[in-house]
Amino acid sequence: MIKKYIQRFYLLFIIILLYAPIITLMALSFNSSKSRARWGGFTAKWYVRLFQDDQIMTALYTTLEIALLSALIATVLGTAGAIGIHALRRKYRTFMMGVTNIPMLNADIVTGISLMLLFIAFRFSLGFSTILIAHITFNLPYVILSVMPRLKQTNISTYEAALDLGASPLYAFFKVVFPDILPGVSSGFLLAFTMSLDDFVITHFTKGPGVDTLSTKIYSEVRKGIRPEIYALSTIMFLSVLLLLILVNIAPDEKEDRKRILSAATVKRHKISRFLLRKVVPAAMVVIITIGGIFYSTKADRLGGANQVIVYNWGEYLDPAAIELFEEETGIDVVYEEYETNEIMYPKIQSGAIAYDVVCPSDYMIERMIENDLLAEINFDNVPNIKNIGDVYMEQSRQFDPNNKYSVPYLWGTVGILYNKTMVDEPIDSWSVLWDEKYKDSILMQDSVRDAFGVALKYLGYSLNSTDLDELTAAQKLLIEQKPLVQAYVVDQVRDKMIGNEAAIGVIYSGEAIYTQLENPDLEYVIPKEGSNIWIDSLVIPKNAKHKENAEAFINFVCRPEIAKMNFDFITYSIPNEGGRALIEEPELRNSKIAFPDAKELERCETFKFLGDENDAVYNKLWREVKSR
Amino acid sequence: MSNKLIDIVNVSKSFGENLVLNDLNLYIRENEFLTLLGPSGCGKTTLLRILGGFESPNEGKVIFDGKDITDLAPNKRQLNTVFQKYALFPNMTIAENIAFGLKIKGKSNTYIEDKIHYALKLVNLDGFNERMPDSLSGGQQQRIAIARAIVNEPKVLLLDEPLGALDLKLRQDMQYELIRLKNELGITFVYVTHDQEEALTMSDTIVVMNQGNIQQIGTPEDIYNEPQNAFVADFIGESNIFSAIMVEDKLVKIQGVKFPCVDTGFGKNKPVDAVIRPEDVDLVKPKKGLMQGIVTSLIFKGVHYEMDVMANGYEWLVHSTDMFPVGTEVGIRVDPFDIQIMKKPESEDAEAVSIEE
Repeated sequence: MIKKYIQRFYLLFIIILLYAPIITLMALSFNSSKSRARWGGFTAKWYVRLFQDDQIMTALYTTLEIALLSALIATVLGTAGAIGIHALRRKYRTFMMGVTNIPMLNADIVTGISLMLLFIAFRFSLGFSTILIAHITFNLPYVILSVMPRLKQTNISTYEAALDLGASPLYAFFKVVFPDILPGVSSGFLLAFTMSLDDFVITHFTKGPGVDTLSTKIYSEVRKGIRPEIYALSTIMFLSVLLLLILVNIAPDEKEDRKRILSAATVKRHKISRFLLRKVVPAAMVVIITIGGIFYSTKADRLGGANQVIVYNWGEYLDPAAIELFEEETGIDVVYEEYETNEIMYPKIQSGAIAYDVVCPSDYMIERMIENDLLAEINFDNVPNIKNIGDVYMEQSRQFDPNNKYSVPYLWGTVGILYNKTMVDEPIDSWSVLWDEKYKDSILMQDSVRDAFGVALKYLGYSLNSTDLDELTAAQKLLIEQKPLVQAYVVDQVRDKMIGNEAAIGVIYSGEAIYTQLENPDLEYVIPKEGSNIWIDSLVIPKNAKHKENAEAFINFVCRPEIAKMNFDFITYSIPNEGGRALIEEPELRNSKIAFPDAKELERCETFKFLGDENDAVYNKLWREVKSR
Repeated sequence: MSNKLIDIVNVSKSFGENLVLNDLNLYIRENEFLTLLGPSGCGKTTLLRILGGFESPNEGKVIFDGKDITDLAPNKRQLNTVFQKYALFPNMTIAENIAFGLKIKGKSNTYIEDKIHYALKLVNLDGFNERMPDSLSGGQQQRIAIARAIVNEPKVLLLDEPLGALDLKLRQDMQYELIRLKNELGITFVYVTHDQEEALTMSDTIVVMNQGNIQQIGTPEDIYNEPQNAFVADFIGESNIFSAIMVEDKLVKIQGVKFPCVDTGFGKNKPVDAVIRPEDVDLVKPKKGLMQGIVTSLIFKGVHYEMDVMANGYEWLVHSTDMFPVGTEVGIRVDPFDIQIMKKPESEDAEAVSIEE
């Protein structure tokens, strides 16, 4: 009796373990609050928004198209290959199987990079087709591997028997061999389909501008936090797979029917439901995917004609409506691609794999790109709207672009302290609060080396670009002292945790701070009196840009006050565009001390500089020591 | 018998270094039950596959009904094969299996229905139409395989060890079944087996093969009673094979003892092989025998006793209905016409000699 209960409990436990994550996700997809930590009531709005979101839907259909196409092609090629390998003599067969298996064991990143290098070497322009080729490549071994065992089981003489009875080789193959290996072929197809859906790394390296699969799309949004629409999408995907599995499993088995004696009517009924469940439903899904794919791909602009501008920007850094407006106005196609960090963007520009026209690096990265001669001088005759950019920002830009020749400030912000007014006793104005024993376990630190050291160096009164080993060691000592007080080292979770009242104090970017304040009015942001980091992301034109004039037109367009304002509404990051700021309707935002601090406050702030590889290594070593203590 | 249907002319085949068929010549008559008999690896299956079109010879040609079919694809040949492992199509019903060849030929549905019915009746599996192959026993599957082949009305049916996978009782039943089928259908059977009993039971003609060469061609009686060399003698049934000296015509010296025999033309004092079947050895009172020996083992085999007799340092195998207990001293006699004299192979390697028809 007890044994029975334990068995049941154990089963339940396993099921909970397996499905808890997916259920959490499904629950969150109905949460009307954007926070992951707070339940804001039931809503279906994310589902509505999902279908209205062209970007996500296009990515979804690109993913499905690539998965379907690559799985299909790989299945055909792989099955033919497996048959060929199977016909080889034992010695060669073993060798060939080894050769085809190696790519499967290869790390994805190696496959991805080598494919990218290959494409670049042969001057393929990276895009939809290169992703497809890459996916076919890595899918092939899976198909071969799942077809091979079936082939080995297949009695070769059935094929010969068919020939013997007068069948042509092709007829014999499709009529006799193929049905026999079909389970292997279809599991190969499904495996390939899933591998393709799953893949991120290889897609990431082989994709071109403007093409995104779901995984690369979601990844590029990680910086701003995953949108609830994605939860809704994941829920739909999970449920469709579940539904499909159930349908296939409840379809009556043909072989079973043959073995049992059934009435003709039952057999007929089973035949019909089998036809519906096994053929009609999957076929309908394929049709939906295809139609949807065509629908969204005509809606979305793929690599168009020659008159285009390829923009490489941070994830969610520009209102899509602004892009549409630009396209309408100028007739120039915008191919828009996103990246997550400067460090991901840099090698792509450096390798020259894709000729981007407009890129938006941060201050220190611009300095590095200028040093490495990767940027083109902007012809400001084509960018008259530069006049809208405030002088103070042009002045700050000189720290990394001394003559203001290469860059146009696009968005900027500061790093400061976000605190919950109800959870602290006194007004906060200093970094020292991060070392206050009172707030043990309610402090959130940024989990990135420069940001963390920046805070410590500034608190000590040094420059946050210090390369002095004594200063750095002092900062490291401070960070180690702070460790016991810190609740967590995080990046974008500061936002959610602060909104959810999970911590009292957090180090945060000003742009995020505005957003958190809208969600939770108890939060307050301050730039500590010791000074902090000011960051500027500026638009630049790479040296190998193919559409430089279009690029300048694009930069001029976003420097327009209305567009700058529109973008501010979209992402709530501070804009350097004075004209744009004047257009902001809500006075509390227009005059927000967070978005637009006084010039005096900014004087205490510095931008990060590129310190060179050696100094980077020193920083990283010291930071590792902090983290591992 | 009637005229030649298949003529195999100077056929050689090798897989890599390995010579499987060595310049082979053979003809097959119409309505003949011809068996290719030999140990595994002797090339018999390869020869059958060349006939079926699944292998092509490196040299030589195959003439079928007056036409060269050496390079003809298997699906274009007027012969059908029954494979060793049945090779039924697992995803089709029995009826679909049988109809396979007929559908390709574009026969009408009624014709196909009739044929299925006829063929199933012929192999005693009436009413199995809608069953799947894997629900049938091995013997049933093999009969379906035969039915599937014969509905196409081939001129020749090639059978590749079709009974190899069956148990003894079933095998014997199927042997009679095959003979009956052959008589009812009146077509040529080319049968491959390594089982000499099967070959002796069913065949009109037996072709004994070894290492890619034909050793002997003849009726079952010829092959059994007058093996032309030690290999055939050893392979077909059990026998006592002696190194002997042909003293003169009709006299052979075995183990130092002179035996009268009926063979002539081997010359004087020439080394030969002498074959004596165990059932041809007569055990008599010691004094009445040409040589004397002692019974060293005795096994009851049902129809007869099997005894080993040690005489002059050689162990004779004897089958007899008379019983002599172990230890009995006996005399050995052999009737002259029961001694088969064969030429000695020139060397060890030449044991697999190529002989003229």
